[in-house]
Amino acid sequence: MIRRIVVMTLVTGLFVSLAGWAGPALNSLVIGSTQEPSNLCPWEGSADTKENLMGIFNIGLTFFDSEGVLQPGLATELPTEANGRLAVIRDADGQVTRQQVVWTIRDDAYWSDGVPITSDDAIFTFKVQNTTEMMVTTRAFSNLIEEIIKVDDKSFQIIYKTPNLFYANVGGSIGLARHYDIAPKHIWEPIYDQVMEAITANPENASTIIQGQFLGSSPSTGTGTVVGSGAFEFVEWQINQFIRFTRRADFFLDPPGPVANYLQEVTVRYIVAQPTLLSGIIAGEIEASDDIGLAGLDPVILKAQLGNQGVVDVTPSGFIEKLNFNLFPQCQTAVDLLLGDKRTRQAIIQAIDREDLARTVYPGASVSNSFLVAGDIGFDETLKAWEYDPAAASALLADLGWTDSDGNGILERTVDGKVIEFRLHWVATTADFRMRTGEVLLEMLADVGIKLEVENLPGSVVFSSEYLNYGSECTWRGIVEYAEGGGIGQAPADPLSNELWANDLLEVPVDAVLENTPLPENSFGGTNITGWVSAEFDQMRAEALQEFDLAKRSAIVVLMQQLYNEELPTVPLYDRSEVVTKMTGLVNYVKGTAAARTQFWNAWEWGWEQNGAVAVR
Amino acid sequence: MATYLTRRILQVIPTLFVISLLLFGLLSMKPGDPIDEMRRGNPGFTQADYDRLREFYGLDKPWYVQYWRWLGRVMHGDFGPSRQFGRPAAQYIFKYRFPNTVLLSGLSLLVAFCVAVPTGVISALRQHSSVDYVITVVNFIGVSIPIFWLGIMLIYIFAVHFRGFLPAGGLATPGVTGTWPIFVDRLEHLLLPVIALSSLQLAQWTRFMRSSMLETIQLDFVVTARSKGISERRVIFKHALRNAILPLITLVGLNVPLLFSGAILTETVFNWPGMGRAIFDAILVNDFNVAMVSLMFISLLVLTFNLLADLTYALVDPRIRYG
Repeated sequence: MIRRIVVMTLVTGLFVSLAGWAGPALNSLVIGSTQEPSNLCPWEGSADTKENLMGIFNIGLTFFDSEGVLQPGLATELPTEANGRLAVIRDADGQVTRQQVVWTIRDDAYWSDGVPITSDDAIFTFKVQNTTEMMVTTRAFSNLIEEIIKVDDKSFQIIYKTPNLFYANVGGSIGLARHYDIAPKHIWEPIYDQVMEAITANPENASTIIQGQFLGSSPSTGTGTVVGSGAFEFVEWQINQFIRFTRRADFFLDPPGPVANYLQEVTVRYIVAQPTLLSGIIAGEIEASDDIGLAGLDPVILKAQLGNQGVVDVTPSGFIEKLNFNLFPQCQTAVDLLLGDKRTRQAIIQAIDREDLARTVYPGASVSNSFLVAGDIGFDETLKAWEYDPAAASALLADLGWTDSDGNGILERTVDGKVIEFRLHWVATTADFRMRTGEVLLEMLADVGIKLEVENLPGSVVFSSEYLNYGSECTWRGIVEYAEGGGIGQAPADPLSNELWANDLLEVPVDAVLENTPLPENSFGGTNITGWVSAEFDQMRAEALQEFDLAKRSAIVVLMQQLYNEELPTVPLYDRSEVVTKMTGLVNYVKGTAAARTQFWNAWEWGWEQNGAVAVR
Repeated sequence: MATYLTRRILQVIPTLFVISLLLFGLLSMKPGDPIDEMRRGNPGFTQADYDRLREFYGLDKPWYVQYWRWLGRVMHGDFGPSRQFGRPAAQYIFKYRFPNTVLLSGLSLLVAFCVAVPTGVISALRQHSSVDYVITVVNFIGVSIPIFWLGIMLIYIFAVHFRGFLPAGGLATPGVTGTWPIFVDRLEHLLLPVIALSSLQLAQWTRFMRSSMLETIQLDFVVTARSKGISERRVIFKHALRNAILPLITLVGLNVPLLFSGAILTETVFNWPGMGRAIFDAILVNDFNVAMVSLMFISLLVLTFNLLADLTYALVDPRIRYG
């Protein structure tokens, strides 16, 4: 009896184990990721993890294809002036002052439960987005919209109070998170009504009610009915483990061949530890990775580990790793080190062999010279590249009065009788590649007499506003290194929608109020954590944001990059690459360009060659 | 005994209150809040959004005000929502994490105990034999090898090298249906993490059992039992073992709460969604409510198992009585 049980267990176990290799056999795909989304609520959060996931079972009015070209998704066509869907009103100077866009949803667009997608869904989505009490992550884009009017069951008109050049980009239409624009009214309206009723009865507990009943609702937590507009429909979410989807029969975009030849099921498995994820990939349990889980791994080594069973893709991420300087005159350490003088920053960039650094710590990454990346509107390919030149760096530092008079290898200068050594505080997170960066920079800067004081802290500390925004209080005294999206591909794909280092926001002419620079006067709010003050940069940014002519806007952005490149409020190190693996035979699993920002833009085309799927990407 | 028990139970309440205050204060001292996480993930996030959300979550209030509000809700059984996952924090922990930890840690404890006791007894009875030496060496290896390294090696051997023989991690294979396949699938996913997690405990408890047994079999009452003609088996298992196992019971009792919170390395390596990892992640991403409910629960466990260990001691040893 016992022997029988053991044999049965082993046989069943073998069968179950083989299920992990069943990708092509079962026409399914298991994707591995290290980051799980918080919820499935369309109005909350738009981080990469959620964007990727939502892309499997949702589609926006438009989407970027793998070439970075915008394509209609739910919409029948892209709105343009030529087809009459885009209407702009210009003032006497030719500046666009008003803008209206008409969208029409495809007749064959249905939610995964069979309910037609209509303009009522779009209007409801905007209504929730604009509800004051509602917990939406950002209103930066929806605030550009004055109102949305229903034209008919399938068409709606968006009237902008602030012209939006990127009205057609994913998320740019209604201002929701990336990769989806419209939420299902028939699912969310009952929940919304109930929540608003509860808030009306109990306004002081609005936050608790929304967290519990809206964000905690069954469509948000995946414990109830979850419907989407995309190629796959939601099946189940085992929290901290996996989310499963199956193919819809009624999706309006077809793969390049019989649907049966393409994936019928997709499962995303969440594995927190990268080594365990990698083990699963090499063991064949995970058939593809997303563009998040394998960050920082060497693609060459990864390819060697995978051998013939898999392929490794390396694509630009659109995130630029950079050194941010403390330029606050309130921070004495930064003042002593003359970080506010651009020659210091120019010396530091020339003291760093950025090619070597990128190759060493982030294989596959390419050196960056701008705050934008290729594909961004206005990206200047001809921007001067600061070459590695330690001699020039040393000369600049000497001009600034730094000498190594005591021969200890560290530059010093004397100010009011006090000897100041060039000890530069450098802080970054504890990610492996950043810890390696600290070691590399330590050596490179030592060659020009700068002693780097390396400090690695948990990301939750580095990125906390109490730390990052308190540069004027010298919480970080020299450099903080992290990566930031240049703004490309972010809804509405406006590189300037990221407030970057603007001191002042959206006002021409620039006034004296430093709204965006964290100081005690504004409760340390704002994103200009370096404290760089450039009225010229602010002026150009404000003008560019209001420029509706792409060519003119590009010209302004080029000038902004040139100013940035000269002043170097931050030193761009490299554009981080993204490493994605996929098993041999998986076709059309292609990340879009960095502009598109998402790996999961074309789930309906994914398939196994072994099953007759045709590769078109 | 009843008086003692009542007194001990009543002591739990003020102890937990002080612990909650200390925990909340410590967590509040950590830089950052959940809004920082949102800011990082949304390049279009503005200062206005930041201020609005801080007010929404009550994070603009001083920590002691936030604690008072939290305490008020807890008195009504509401531990608040998980800011990370939107579900009630208590539900997230007790429905989605705690059972997994009970399964993994409980099984590891059971395996370690069930193997350590007989192994320790055998090692003691055959002191200085080759069996004893082998067991001793294995124990020293078990104590020396870091659990996370052992876990990684097990994954490498059984999941990577023997490709797919056992799963590389996780709780279950997605899509497996049927009672028997699910049972087998769960066992397969448990095998490697249980081996890794129980290794240290097993080694330590075996050594402990061995020492305790060696000490006990030399006592007068054992000699007396033998001299009365009682069989060796009865002498060992009815008389000696019962006394020798007492210190181990205390040790096991004190270790139980640690198993619920201290399996973070195993849970990380094997992607096992348990409480250890939940606590670690919650603290990192400033998910206060999850961190508080977890840590308070661990505190309650420590207090409870301390009491249980004392009571079990009294049960096993009739000489011990509480009043």
